[in-house]
Amino acid sequence: MSSRAAEAQPVEDIQGDGRWMSLHNSFLHDAKEKEPEVVLIGDSIIAQMTQSKLWEQMFEPLHCLNFGIGGDRTQHVLWRIHNGELDKIEPKVIVLHVGTNNFDDTAEQVTEGILANVKSIREKQPSSHLVVVGLLPRGEKPNALRQKHKEINERLADELQGAPLTSFLRIDDKEFMSSEGVIRRSAMYDFLHLTTDIGYQKLCEPLLEEIQNLLGTFIKVESTSVETASLAGDLDHAPGN
Amino acid sequence: MVLSQRQKDELNKAIADYLYSNGFQGALEHFQKEAGMPQELEKKFSGLLEKRWTSVIRLQKKVMDLETKLAEAEEEVNSGAPTRDRRSPGEWIPRPPERYSLNGHRSPITRVVFHPSFSVMVSCSEDATIRVWDYETGDYERTLKGHTDSVQDVAFDSAGKYLVSCSADLSIKIWDFNGFECIKTMMGHDHNVSSVTFMPSGDFVVSSSRDKTIKMWEVATGYCIKTYTGHRDWVRMVRVYQDGSLLASCSNDQTVRVWVTATKECKAELREHEHVVECIAWAPDSAQPAINEAAGTESKSAKRSGPFLLSGSRDKTLKMWDVSVGLCLFTLTGHDNWIRGIVFHPGGKFILSASDDKTIRVWDIQNKRNHKTLLAHPHFVTSIDMHRNAPYVITGSVDQSVKVWECR
Repeated sequence: MSSRAAEAQPVEDIQGDGRWMSLHNSFLHDAKEKEPEVVLIGDSIIAQMTQSKLWEQMFEPLHCLNFGIGGDRTQHVLWRIHNGELDKIEPKVIVLHVGTNNFDDTAEQVTEGILANVKSIREKQPSSHLVVVGLLPRGEKPNALRQKHKEINERLADELQGAPLTSFLRIDDKEFMSSEGVIRRSAMYDFLHLTTDIGYQKLCEPLLEEIQNLLGTFIKVESTSVETASLAGDLDHAPGN
Repeated sequence: MVLSQRQKDELNKAIADYLYSNGFQGALEHFQKEAGMPQELEKKFSGLLEKRWTSVIRLQKKVMDLETKLAEAEEEVNSGAPTRDRRSPGEWIPRPPERYSLNGHRSPITRVVFHPSFSVMVSCSEDATIRVWDYETGDYERTLKGHTDSVQDVAFDSAGKYLVSCSADLSIKIWDFNGFECIKTMMGHDHNVSSVTFMPSGDFVVSSSRDKTIKMWEVATGYCIKTYTGHRDWVRMVRVYQDGSLLASCSNDQTVRVWVTATKECKAELREHEHVVECIAWAPDSAQPAINEAAGTESKSAKRSGPFLLSGSRDKTLKMWDVSVGLCLFTLTGHDNWIRGIVFHPGGKFILSASDDKTIRVWDIQNKRNHKTLLAHPHFVTSIDMHRNAPYVITGSVDQSVKVWECR
């Protein structure tokens, strides 16, 4: 059974400013000119990562491009993949997070939608590593969507097991919650999106580790635990200057 | 901000004193009643509120003074190097902090080059413009507009009369550097033109492109007169040997190639890099003794005479090649990310490199070691150039700034 979650479709421009298509065109331009080694694609969880200092510290040095658009559902990301965003590049790693905006689709439909994206990415970039990030929890207290995400993640873990060059990265829901299962606003400021510091740290640290393992090269990125920004401009180790 | 009970009491007492000493008797009585304080005022709080008030400003000023002093001290530390008057052109190297940080470009800088004689330099950017700056005063001079997409490379002819530029808009433009006008536009590449340079005579320019070719153009007519084919991917850079007889190029196909200019024959294909080769530079004659020393050439009769070529790659290494035999003589490692720019020190003892690890590094050729590292920009450093006579180095970055570094 196929569902609309697995059928590529552009976002309808109901607000009338054409931002979604502008972003898509801007991504196409970047794909043509830049030579990313890592591409992140998906919804607002991906998109807002660039607003975090962690992006600058951890991801920019790896030559990353971010093709996230807030509000995108699985069918929208699928449309963007079908329409060229991954055509002109040869990334070593692709990261996907999408599905949380398919709030009115069933777990089965969303899983199909995500798997359709996985399949499409595999066709466009058969030799890249793909990291599928499991859906993050949402809503202050336990609710139907959280339960659905849990189910989707279990299905994904199952479906993606043994898939070539594909890994499933699941962040433990508890990372964002208090012991009573209440999402902390210090990690998710609106009980859905991540805060630029604590929230993204929970996602970015394991993600960066996974990416660096796949790249097989450890580009030096800035430490994020200690503020090291303002060391003197001279890092000289060599004696005798 | 939360005050402790003791601090609150002290603040209240200080306020009471302030009200009293300024004759706000009614307010004082009300305040003392509301705050539940005794009638009498303690002497030690007299004038305290005003003192605190002024001390904030005093401390701010103090902080600023200390910051200035720290900056001076940092400069002192770095000048364990020779002072300005004792420096020698063969030994001087860039020292932090930068002398100028020049802003104006609205996108990443792609290349920076010195004018061969005037005290100006030129930068080009993904914002499609070329900017001219005075590196001695730090003044912005002017902008050359004409390209419609990212400008990838710029170069002067040996006299500095003409500037050539190339762009992702597929064109190559020649600019009269007196009138600052574009006097010729040459089209012929099928993709992004990545690099361009003048032949020593100034009558021809050579360009490299993402269309996998290298082309030679006649300046007088604007015609493409030769095409060098062989690279299997994007050609990143092309550079002409000092006497014009050879061309060197590097590519996304991970090779460095050397071409006979006149016959278009590919004389050498140098493969050892493990990633895209971003940049190349021919060694000046002055560097020959140091390169020979580094290569461990023992007997004098077996001395290598080159030509020598240096390449920098995304595999984070620099490699020195003896083009006459097609051999890699040695590899320099130390950068933590892609290498984007290289230039030989005119004295011949050092190499300078720019990298996406945000540093520029000075390499001691003879000892094959990283002599000095400068944290140069807060983002990738894309280009570096060193003046042939004056003690200056310039760098450009994805952070959209151009920096001028003084050498000592």
